[in-house]
Amino acid sequence: MLSFLNIVIVGLLLGGIYGLVSMGLNLIFGVIRIVNFSQGELVMLGMYGAYLSWFFLGLDPYLSSIIVVPLLFLLGVVLQRFILQPLQNEPFMQIFATFGLLMFFQNLVLAITGGTGYSVRSAASSAVITMGEINVSLPRLIVLIAVIVVALGLNWFVTHTMPGKAVRAVTQDRRSARLMGINVELAFMLTFGAGAALAGLAGVMLAPIYTLSPQIGGNFILAAFAVVVLGGLGSVWGAFFGGFIIGLVEAFAGYYFDPALKHAIWFLIFIIVLIVRPGGLFGIAGAEEMGLREQD
Amino acid sequence: MSKIDQQEAGAPAAPGRSSPHVTRLRTELGRIAAIAAVFGAAITFWQGDPFILNIMAYTFLFGALASSWNIIGGFGGQFSLGHGVFFAIGGYTTANLYFHWQISPWLSLIPAMILAMLVAVLVSWPTFRLKGPFFAIATLALNEVALVLANYFDTLTGGPRGMMLPFNAGLANMVFTSRLPYAVLMLGFLIVCLVVGAMVLRSRLGYYLQAVHIDEDAARAAGIDVLRVKLSGMAVSAALTGIGGSLFAMYLRFVDPPTLLSIQDIGVKFLLIALIGGVGTLYGPLAGALLIIPLEFHLRATLGGMLPGANLLILGALLVIFSLFMRRGVVGAGQALWTRYRRTKNE
Repeated sequence: MLSFLNIVIVGLLLGGIYGLVSMGLNLIFGVIRIVNFSQGELVMLGMYGAYLSWFFLGLDPYLSSIIVVPLLFLLGVVLQRFILQPLQNEPFMQIFATFGLLMFFQNLVLAITGGTGYSVRSAASSAVITMGEINVSLPRLIVLIAVIVVALGLNWFVTHTMPGKAVRAVTQDRRSARLMGINVELAFMLTFGAGAALAGLAGVMLAPIYTLSPQIGGNFILAAFAVVVLGGLGSVWGAFFGGFIIGLVEAFAGYYFDPALKHAIWFLIFIIVLIVRPGGLFGIAGAEEMGLREQD
Repeated sequence: MSKIDQQEAGAPAAPGRSSPHVTRLRTELGRIAAIAAVFGAAITFWQGDPFILNIMAYTFLFGALASSWNIIGGFGGQFSLGHGVFFAIGGYTTANLYFHWQISPWLSLIPAMILAMLVAVLVSWPTFRLKGPFFAIATLALNEVALVLANYFDTLTGGPRGMMLPFNAGLANMVFTSRLPYAVLMLGFLIVCLVVGAMVLRSRLGYYLQAVHIDEDAARAAGIDVLRVKLSGMAVSAALTGIGGSLFAMYLRFVDPPTLLSIQDIGVKFLLIALIGGVGTLYGPLAGALLIIPLEFHLRATLGGMLPGANLLILGALLVIFSLFMRRGVVGAGQALWTRYRRTKNE
C-alpha cells in the first residue's frame, strides 16, 4: 500500500513537471494553431538562463525567473513576428521552421558549452519534506504548486480579462475577431511570447531538478506532445490533467514494467487516444484537424 | 514500361501545376540515365581518392533516401518524421541475418524491404488519421519509441553497444576493401529510387497522391480511397528506405541505435534534404543531397573539432531560411527563374 501511495506521489510530481512544460505548447497551439517543435528548446533556454543568472548574479534559480521569463517572452515575440507570422498559412513550412529552430537552439547551446553538463543549486535544492513515511523533494513540490498556479492564472486570464477574451475570440474565428477591431497579429505575437515565457518559467523551475544539457529539451517535447494530445488540444485544463495522466502512467509503468520502456507505453496510450478520441479527453472533436484549417 | 505509358495517356495532367506540360516517363528515364552517366564519370574520375568517394557514397545514399521519403512526403504531402524507423528496420534486418546466419546482404535486401513495408503500413494505419503537424508529431514519437525499443531489446539489436559486422571482403558479402564499389552501389540505389519515383509520379498512384496532397477532401469526394492511396505511397517509400538502411549497415559494418535512429541525423535529414532541393519534385531531393552532404562533410571537417554540433546548427538555420524564403527549394527556384526568363524572352 505504501509503495502504491509512493508511486502515486511520484506520478503526481512528475505530472506537475509535464503539465508545466506543456502549458506554453498548448497555449501556442490552441490560439495560433502552430505546433511548435522548438518548445522543448525554449524550456532548455530557460534552464540555461537560470544557470547564467545564478552563475553571474548569484540569483537563486527561482528568483531568476524575473529575468528569464521576460527575456523568453521577447524571444517568443520575435520568433512569431519574423519567422512564424510569414508562414501563417503554410502548415508544412511551420513544421520545417520550428524543427529548424529546435536544431538551431540545441546545437547553438552545444557549440557554446561544448557539451559540459551544468547544474544549478538553489537553497531549496536538497530540501525534502517528510510526511509520515513519504518523502517529497521540495523543488518538485514547487513545480507542482507552480503548475496549479499557472493553470488557474491562465484560466482566469482567458475568461476574465479583455486581452484574454480577445485571445479567445481570435482562437474561435480570426476573421470575425478582426472585424471586431482586434489586432490579430498582435494577439498572436503576445500569445507566442506568453507561450515562450511559460516555457522559460518551466525551465527555471526545472533547473534545480535536472542536470542541464543541450539535448534536455528532447526529454520534454515528446511528453508535452503526449500531454497536449491526451488532454485536448488547446484546452488549459486538458494540459493540466493530461500532465498528471502521463506522469502517473510513467510512474506506474516504471514501477510495474521497466523504466526503460516508459516511452513505449506513452506512445501506446498516445496512439490509442488518437484512434479513439482524436480531439483528446478534454478537447473538441475534430480539433486535431483544425491546425490545417485556413481561417483568414 | 509500355503499360505505364498507356496509363499515362489516359491519366489527367498533374493538378495544380502552372504549366499543363507533363514530361513523359520515357523522357524522364532518359534524364535519369544521363544523371547516372555523369555520376559514373565522376566516380571514375575520383576513383583513387577515398575521401571524395566516401562523400559521393553518402551523397548518393542520402539523395536516394530523400527521394524515397519524397514519394510519400513530397508527392503525397505526408510529412513523416519517422522514416528513421524503416531505415533502422532495414539496417537491423540485414545486420542480423548477416551476423547470425551469414546470409548474403544481397538476399536480405528482400526481407528488409518487406519488413519495413509491413511495419510502415501497420503504424501508418492509425497515424494517417492525423493531418499535417499531428501526423508529424505521431511519426516523431514513433521514431523515439523505436529508439527506446532498439536500446531495450539487445538480443536483436546489440543494444546501446551496437553490432559490429565481421569483415569478410567479397562481392557476395557486400563487403569491399575499397570505397569505390560502395560508391557504385549507392549510385545504383540512387538510380533505382529515381526510376521508382519517376514511375510512381507518372502512374495512377502518383496522381492520386498529388490529389490527396493538394486537397484531401476533394480527392475523397472524387472517389479516391484516400487511406489506401496514402498507405500504398508509404509502403513504396518505406520499402526503399529499408533497402537504404541495409546498404548503410553494410557500408559502416556497424549498427547501433543512434546511428540508425537519430532524429536529427537520420529522420529529419531526409526531409531537410528534400526541402533544400525541392519537396515534391522528382530531382529536388537529389539536388538537396548534392548541396547538403558535401556541405556537412566540409563543416564537420572545418568546425567539428572547435564547435561540436556546428554542422547541425547550420542545417537548422538553413531549414528556417529555406522554409521562409525558398519553399520550393533550389529546383523550384530554378524553375521559377527559367519560366521568368522564357516569359521575358517571348515578350
